[in-house]
Amino acid sequence: MIYKIQATSQGHFTRVQHYLLYSARQKPHGEFNKARWLYFGCSQLLVHTVRMPDSTYGRSDSYRVATTQDKADRSPKKKKGGTKDMDDLKKEVPITEHKMSIEEVCRKFNTDIVQGLTNAKAAEYLIRDGPNALTPPPTTPEWVKFCRQLFGGFSILLWTGAILCFLAYAIQAATEDEPAGDNLYLGIVLTAVVVITGCFSYFQEAKSSKIMESFKNMVPQQALVIREGEKVTINAEEVVGGDLIEVKGGDRIPADIRVVSAHGCKVDNSSLTGESEPQSRSPDCTHDNPLETRNVAFFSTNCVEGTARGIVICTGDRTVMGRIATLTSGLETGKTPIAKEIEHFIHIITGVAVFLGVTFFILAIILGYSWLEAVIFLIGIIVANVPEGLLATVTVCLTLTAKRMAKKNCLVKNLEAVETLGSTSTICSDKTGTLTQNRMTVAHMWFDNQIHEADTTEDQSGASFDKSSVTWLSLARVAGLCNRAQFKAGQDSLPILKRDVAGDASESALLKCIELSCGSVRAMRDRNKKVAEIPFNSTNKYQLSVHETEDPNDNRYLLVMKGAPERILDRCTTILVQGKEQPMDEELKEAFQNAYMELGGLGERVLGFCHVLLPEDQYPKGFAFDTEDVNFQTDNLCFVGLMSMIDPPRAAVPDAVIMVTGDHPITAKAIAKGVGIISEGNETVEDIAARLNIPVSQVNPRDAKACVVHGTDLKDLSQDQMDDILRNHTEIVFARTSPQQKLIIVEGCQRLGAIVAVTGDGVNDSPALKKADIGVAMGISGSDVSKQAADMILLDDNFASIVTGVEEGRLIFDNLKKSIAYTLTSNIPEITPFLFFIIVNIPLPLGTITILCIDLGTDMVPAISLAYETAESDIMKRQPRNPARDKLVNERLISIAYGQIGMIQALGGFFAYFVILAENGFLPSRLVGIRLNWDDRSTNDLEDSYGQQWTYEQRKIVEFTCHTAFFVSIVVVQWADVIICKTRRNSVFQQGMRNKILIFGLFEETALAAFLSYCPGMDVALRMYPLKPSWWFCAFPYSFLIFVYDEIRKLLLRRNPGGWVERETYY
Amino acid sequence: MSGTKAEERKGSSSEWRDAFWNPRTHELLGRTASSWGLILLFYLVFYLFLAGMFVLTMYIMLLTLDDYKPTWQDRLATPGMMIHPKGDQLEITFSVSETESWDRFTQTLNTFLSPYNDSYQVQMNDNCPPDQFFIQEDSGEVRNNPKRSCQFNRSMLEECSGISDRFYGYSRGQPCVLIKLNRVIGMLPGKNGQSPYVTCGAKRYRVEKERDEWREDGDKLGPLAYYPPNGTFNLMYYPYYGKKAQVNYTQPLVAVKFLNASVNTDINVECKINSNTLEAGSERDKFAGRVSFKLRINHT
Repeated sequence: MIYKIQATSQGHFTRVQHYLLYSARQKPHGEFNKARWLYFGCSQLLVHTVRMPDSTYGRSDSYRVATTQDKADRSPKKKKGGTKDMDDLKKEVPITEHKMSIEEVCRKFNTDIVQGLTNAKAAEYLIRDGPNALTPPPTTPEWVKFCRQLFGGFSILLWTGAILCFLAYAIQAATEDEPAGDNLYLGIVLTAVVVITGCFSYFQEAKSSKIMESFKNMVPQQALVIREGEKVTINAEEVVGGDLIEVKGGDRIPADIRVVSAHGCKVDNSSLTGESEPQSRSPDCTHDNPLETRNVAFFSTNCVEGTARGIVICTGDRTVMGRIATLTSGLETGKTPIAKEIEHFIHIITGVAVFLGVTFFILAIILGYSWLEAVIFLIGIIVANVPEGLLATVTVCLTLTAKRMAKKNCLVKNLEAVETLGSTSTICSDKTGTLTQNRMTVAHMWFDNQIHEADTTEDQSGASFDKSSVTWLSLARVAGLCNRAQFKAGQDSLPILKRDVAGDASESALLKCIELSCGSVRAMRDRNKKVAEIPFNSTNKYQLSVHETEDPNDNRYLLVMKGAPERILDRCTTILVQGKEQPMDEELKEAFQNAYMELGGLGERVLGFCHVLLPEDQYPKGFAFDTEDVNFQTDNLCFVGLMSMIDPPRAAVPDAVIMVTGDHPITAKAIAKGVGIISEGNETVEDIAARLNIPVSQVNPRDAKACVVHGTDLKDLSQDQMDDILRNHTEIVFARTSPQQKLIIVEGCQRLGAIVAVTGDGVNDSPALKKADIGVAMGISGSDVSKQAADMILLDDNFASIVTGVEEGRLIFDNLKKSIAYTLTSNIPEITPFLFFIIVNIPLPLGTITILCIDLGTDMVPAISLAYETAESDIMKRQPRNPARDKLVNERLISIAYGQIGMIQALGGFFAYFVILAENGFLPSRLVGIRLNWDDRSTNDLEDSYGQQWTYEQRKIVEFTCHTAFFVSIVVVQWADVIICKTRRNSVFQQGMRNKILIFGLFEETALAAFLSYCPGMDVALRMYPLKPSWWFCAFPYSFLIFVYDEIRKLLLRRNPGGWVERETYY
Repeated sequence: MSGTKAEERKGSSSEWRDAFWNPRTHELLGRTASSWGLILLFYLVFYLFLAGMFVLTMYIMLLTLDDYKPTWQDRLATPGMMIHPKGDQLEITFSVSETESWDRFTQTLNTFLSPYNDSYQVQMNDNCPPDQFFIQEDSGEVRNNPKRSCQFNRSMLEECSGISDRFYGYSRGQPCVLIKLNRVIGMLPGKNGQSPYVTCGAKRYRVEKERDEWREDGDKLGPLAYYPPNGTFNLMYYPYYGKKAQVNYTQPLVAVKFLNASVNTDINVECKINSNTLEAGSERDKFAGRVSFKLRINHT
């Protein structure tokens, strides 16, 4: 009963791996793709083991249902009814009709094979089963989503602030003759900030999910049914189970149907399974698995050619497609890692804000301040504590990265997913490109009955074989001529290995190899003019071309051919050994097989090469070679040799990798070894058994570090056994796992705390794509549904782009840290003025308006500019982030930002404040305790340290000048802060100041500060006053101190890796 | 199911306890004693250093200041004015018949005027030539300190001096209000021998908030008397040299006596300085070069 949906394609793949690698390369989205799942860096992986088909229709084995039930009960995870439904959906397809005879099916639906349903029956079924359409899942109303954005995160805090502002203003308006507008304006600004940020996030989210719509696009509109013996075209929605249906080439199939008769009918299941080749349909049951058998055609797939007639067995949500659609759109996706990080960060900041706010509110009441004053303090503390501009900054930073990735053909649909790739610890992919450099190079050759290592050095210093060998020259000639790749123009000055090539990966590899060892391939091709050519195709599985010979007197034609080694060998009767043509005997064939197995076992892609000089009498000069209807000899050729290529693994591939593939275990193991998932010298239990020549059961599993788990074994494993495997093996390969298990595997990984990325293109991948922390869909081959379910789309289907994504994601995580460190630092100089104002009764050094000017004005551009910072080190060499440990904002960042740099900044601001007051006549000693008189409107003869007397307004102007100076000082110290935040470990002298946006940011914030201070009218609008030029320099020593302090800190950090400084201050 | 939940809760609570105090590793809030010690020591040293740095920069800044004159005085271009007694929020309200209601005004006036007693002034200060500035320049680097001050005798306030009428007219419904011009170092409030003088009048005020309807209480104000005559601040009291150089400076006063103000009504009064050198204060500052207050005399 339990079948792998993709069994055939996997079988195909296995074959491909062994014999027809070349063909597989040519069809990147067909069979080759389906099955390789690679898991990165997931130290522990749990795979849900037993998944039984849920049999709703009669003939299933009853004990299996019981097992399923048992499993579900034992699973502690699922409790709610809704999840139970989802569990059902995750089980494999419950169709059994394909195994029934046509009569049985007819009986079941009370239908007739010729006449179809009666109209009455059809109407009855329609009422019973509902229309043949996909029902969208219940969605949250838009206004609820909007409100969620409006009242989440910092918003609550800011709303509190805004409401307190209005409240304070209302009280003032009621009690005072001329209330100051400050609180009203502040309230309005705060409200605006919240609403704008809320709208921003809302629109960001609103455009994401349209999965159901994309499914609906796949649903056909019309269907041709036979009812009461008449063919009628009806709306596809009205099709019911038991309807007799006719489809022809070009139609979409309106429901899941059991084929009763077919004439050359082929269906394209690619939208469902990703299988690109059309499959024929016939009335015979060819497979127990409904998805594999030929007599079932599926809802929303296309009939490519021919005609077929069938009985509808499932409609609407009960179809295979419907189940996937419901599953996909109903899946709850968790928060993205960056969203979790930001939430964590908001919790910290909110906690600090509320704690400080409440403490000082109570303190203010105890110290005898009025309620109104205490409320105003509370507002000030909240405003100072909340980095109002930060969420916008983060969004902008993510948008910038998304744009940068879009340029590299990585389209990011969900902004927050930008970072997710960077923290991905597990990539589930059916393509190895993620792990390799995507830079195919020739690794080995076999000729003269010997395996030679290819020399890939630019100066050919590593030669390991005799280049003058005739066989080698012949091999090089075949490889050079039977090759359509060529160097792009204008690269003669570049080293060969770095040149761009027009052509596919393995031909490019051959071209470069030949160019390196034998000189210009173009000259070779010029000497041997091409006469005819048959390019590679999947039926031939070879490529051949016919050339003139180099010798102008020799009028014979040279036929060269390359392709899958078996196919080539089959066409050869002789073999070139030591430059001499020898008949191909069994011994040589054996040698060939051994070489082929050895190279294949290294995980390399092997090609065979052969040639023949066509006899002149049969093919005289000018012979018209017809490549369509091959009119020349393509067998009895002379075998020359093998060349094998490898796509070198990326240095960045993390050490601990688990691979999940649909491949045959042996192939999977070879690939795993090739890309370094199973590292050299590690053995599996089977290897040990083979080496020691003992049965597998006698080997202690703990001796083996590597492990290959077969899909069929996987099903029978208990959870404990599974854990045991995961605990005791560092290098694990799962083979023969079906794509249907993707979702289950993704969930398993997520339960263990891994951040999972999934790639896929078919509709059947969409649940896993949606469930994954980041789903990556293919832009060209991907179905619409998979694109909708994914968070990211690779526009060029090039998996190397994922690595770009990982890199960008890690970079943005680092840069967001820097950005947040920068933004948070200025919180301390914003909060401390209030604290001192309340505790020591000095005139307020920094007002709420100026705080907003910093948070929403001067700090913004520098904070954003940090997103443009380049990486400090090779971020790809790092282990993926551990979400439990490596937080975006950790205590070390807070310690540095709040405890150290922020304190220096606050001192800089206070210094400017004291300078201005002292130079105006109020020495620091006079200030302490002055607040009550200072803020008293009726005291208009307040005496300063020199005996002069001040009116309220006069001293308030000085106070607001102080606010301006404090603000300017923060800008000045933030210069140094942004420069130190550029790097977390390196010195700025190592990193350089190449970030132009950052330099622009420095000038911009300074210009903005100057504008706010000097623009006429600012005294009325924002109560900011012009500063004397000398006051700009007050904070300079502190700015310099910040720079020097942090450079020293980073120096110590670099000098003592893992030392105290690193443990306490490396954020 | 509930069992697992309870277990979870138990697990998380013990986690919390571990986060606070982990008995196995002897960690308090995730740090061992030595770790706490080290980080606290670091912050102690760091903050001591910062404090030192701050004190140093403050010290340097204070060194740049002049002891006798602040660096900037541009905010004091127009000196403020103030009344005495100040009343409650610049509102002088009293009932003629109730002694207690004006008693505190006369009390504060007595205290305020005690340094102006003639005997004290004669003893401490010079009798300067009137209508000209009393300039005492320093000769170069040599300070001409302490600087002398001119006498302002209490008796110059005549009816409002509290000598002839010790209740300053409050007992008769003819209250005296003292007006002073804020001290500003180096300020010269007149030229050509013309002393600045105070005039008081009714203040235009808005009848109700939000409505653009203005009114003044000119008819309620009644005749006023100024002491010294014409309400002048004589030029000889200027310039002021600051409290360090001119320790015994006596701030000149002008007394305004409301001779026949309407009773049982609020009167908005505004007094302003008239000078040929002082510029008019900005509209925003209600106390630069002027002072306004509310007077209410209740009489039954």
